[in-house]
Amino acid sequence: MRDDTASEPSLLSTSGLTRAYRGGKGVFDVSLKLSAGEIFGLMGPNGSGKTTLLRLLATAANPTAGRISWFGTTDFRDPSVRRRLGIMLDQPAHFEQMTGYQNAWFFARQFGLSEDFARERLDELFNWSGLSEARGQLVGEYSLGMKRRLNLVEALVHRPSILLLDEPTLALDYRGELDLIERLQLLGLTGTAVVLATNDVHLAERLCDYIIFLHNGRVIREGRVPDMLTEVAGSKEVELQLNSPVDLDGLRRLAAVEGASVQGDVVHVVLSRGANPAQVLAVLNGTADLVSVMRVRQPNLGDLFLKLTGVVLPAAHR
Amino acid sequence: MMLASTIWQRELIEFAQRRRALVIKLAFPLLVAIPLVLSGAPPIYAAMGITMLAAIIGALGAAAVLSRERQSGLTLRYRTLPVNPGRLLIERLGTSAAIDFMQLTPVLLLIALRHPSQFAWWPALMLGTAAVLLIGNLLGALASTLSNSPGEVMLYVVVPLLPLLYLSGVFTTLDQPALLLISRLLPFGYLHEAVLGTLGGQPNLLPWETLLGAFGFLVGAAGLTGRLGRRVLETD
Repeated sequence: MRDDTASEPSLLSTSGLTRAYRGGKGVFDVSLKLSAGEIFGLMGPNGSGKTTLLRLLATAANPTAGRISWFGTTDFRDPSVRRRLGIMLDQPAHFEQMTGYQNAWFFARQFGLSEDFARERLDELFNWSGLSEARGQLVGEYSLGMKRRLNLVEALVHRPSILLLDEPTLALDYRGELDLIERLQLLGLTGTAVVLATNDVHLAERLCDYIIFLHNGRVIREGRVPDMLTEVAGSKEVELQLNSPVDLDGLRRLAAVEGASVQGDVVHVVLSRGANPAQVLAVLNGTADLVSVMRVRQPNLGDLFLKLTGVVLPAAHR
Repeated sequence: MMLASTIWQRELIEFAQRRRALVIKLAFPLLVAIPLVLSGAPPIYAAMGITMLAAIIGALGAAAVLSRERQSGLTLRYRTLPVNPGRLLIERLGTSAAIDFMQLTPVLLLIALRHPSQFAWWPALMLGTAAVLLIGNLLGALASTLSNSPGEVMLYVVVPLLPLLYLSGVFTTLDQPALLLISRLLPFGYLHEAVLGTLGGQPNLLPWETLLGAFGFLVGAAGLTGRLGRRVLETD
């Protein structure tokens, strides 16, 4: 947990935050502090607790232990807290028998916007999101990508102080992703704090100031993005597409290998600084014909995660 | 385009925009009630059928909608609105019960027109229907917190509803004093008495007693709905 300073008061902080579900799932003992204008990334594989943590921060779930403070209050039902949160949860839930505009209008009014201001903001955001043409269409007829964009409109409409976004780029096209990055960077500059749960390492590296790695519901590493990238700087990520199974344990025993994992017919290997990728081929013991493709690239946050846990982030190598 | 600024307005707009569901919702109770009211069936059976109809419409309708919302993630979105959960549930179930009342209005009109001389029972009939619908909605809302499967939720509604209807004296006349006392503590008996009275049968209560009982349950149900807001909305 970082130190709070008088010049940088936190908008949101948690200490020992725990939400335990039956079967051992949940999040455990999470402490974080979010300041104005900061963009925070929660990363981890599916089931690591990102969505649970985001729901707790969004007041959609109650902790079983620990505390959360929003703008200095711990009452998660306080309407003044909720009015300052912009939330996009994992499910793009809407009233399907109402149009996109009717949905967005309802949520805008629930968050206390006047009719004039709601109209002005919605006009702007529907244009930005590319949903203008579909504003009169029933949400039940929207594609997943359109529903996700409508969620973004609803999360942004009341100019929240904190934005909580779960996989915001999921189902967005490339243009939509770029527009979102630009918008979030602008919001960060104007003091809006953002927490985003994502496995998109490129999005995280480009957008986030601070990253938390979650694994099995616990924080396994956190830090500023440049600092975390330094940990894997100089090392290399080797990706091997295989025709038949490989001796993964043999690879892991190599001194130069910091982490190795297999996903389908692709093996990801993180090599330490100065290691030669040919060493990987050597351990395959002359069976190079089992490798159909071999790629070597600079490491990213996904490789750090792999190095720490032996687990590949689902979208890390996109 | 109709725009909703409040929770109750949104419920009404969505209901009005679901044209097919609107027609089915209005036609279904009439299809059940017309043979009961116009065929000259003994009032005791007709009253039983109509009381069950009101209870089932209230409870199953709310249970189906709320369990679907829980599954789709809408309950989570409601949970994060800057609105008191009790007020939110009262607005939602109150509007839902009002829509159910609209659905039953043709049936109530049919009964009243068929037996115009029993007008003394009409206020009790209306209030009894409103009370049963609101309690049915509350029962459905509570059942929706027990499972994410709409089919399973239906079961959770029907399992307590049928014994409660029996204990209310809807299926058979209750002679034992203890059972009679229990029936007075349940809402369905008052609607049953009101329907029976309106149809020209022989109820055990007077119109004003039935009206008072129904009014008490309506107010009680509204209060209970407010108190159960957190239970319904914040249960995972």
